[in-house]
Amino acid sequence: MNWKIWSLKKSPWVFHVNTGACNNCDIEVVNCLTPKFDVERFGVTLVGSPRHADALLVTGVVTAQAAPRLIQAYQQATKPCVVFSIGACACGTGIFHTGYHVVGPVDKIIKEIDPNAIIAYVPGCPPKPEAMISGIVKTLNAL
Amino acid sequence: MSPDELVEKLNTIKSSLTQFEQLLNNRIYLSCESENCFEINKFLFQELKARFVIATAIDCEQYFEILYHYSYDQTGCVINLKCFIRDHENPQVESITPLIPAAEWIEREMHDLEGIEFNNHPCMERLILADDWPEGEYPLRKDWNHEKEI
Repeated sequence: MNWKIWSLKKSPWVFHVNTGACNNCDIEVVNCLTPKFDVERFGVTLVGSPRHADALLVTGVVTAQAAPRLIQAYQQATKPCVVFSIGACACGTGIFHTGYHVVGPVDKIIKEIDPNAIIAYVPGCPPKPEAMISGIVKTLNAL
Repeated sequence: MSPDELVEKLNTIKSSLTQFEQLLNNRIYLSCESENCFEINKFLFQELKARFVIATAIDCEQYFEILYHYSYDQTGCVINLKCFIRDHENPQVESITPLIPAAEWIEREMHDLEGIEFNNHPCMERLILADDWPEGEYPLRKDWNHEKEI
């Protein structure tokens, strides 16, 4: 196993990117880090800068205003970087599909700049913290 | 002020209204043309001391409507002022921000999304559309093409 992947799986540091979410997924992301679910026991910790992150937790449809910021955050993150699309909007724009400001979904924007990006999908509106933990575990096992 | 006194006081501006309707005890609907809009807002806010809740704009294809929602908290009466802007090509109305500073952002939002000009607004800048959104495209207008690539 590549030592970079090995160290990523040991303790993935995550950065949370909101690209136009309604805040519902964001609350569930924060919920994951609270004592009840406590993903920190698996080494998952929230960091304040994409430069420190191994994974991006992206919530929300990508709006026209947020797309360049998402690209910037992805480019700044250390590679290999796993992009988690959290929620129905991030996975496939959901009910906002025909919105005037929507340019997403997340995988489309990320694949434009990096076709080999590792993208994981956690659907749900919002996904339960259990679903997010399951998504993270499955992704790390698949790497 | 009792509900009856409120209606009585509203009757003093009846000449500048096009419609006065009270369907329930605590709901009053007023309609006016855009020229009288500022004066009536001033009356509701300063004379009646009603609380400004929010304003909403609707594109009705031939004309625009701005609904000003006021609440008279002493009796719990909600007053809706419907202001018609007949000129659909070049919609203009007097801004109420000099009177009610809280209306600044909602007027900027209505300007962004519906393209209504608010005269005498102190800071008419883009509020909620993306920075690179083209000028003159108003996404909440009925005739705006949603398939268009921006």
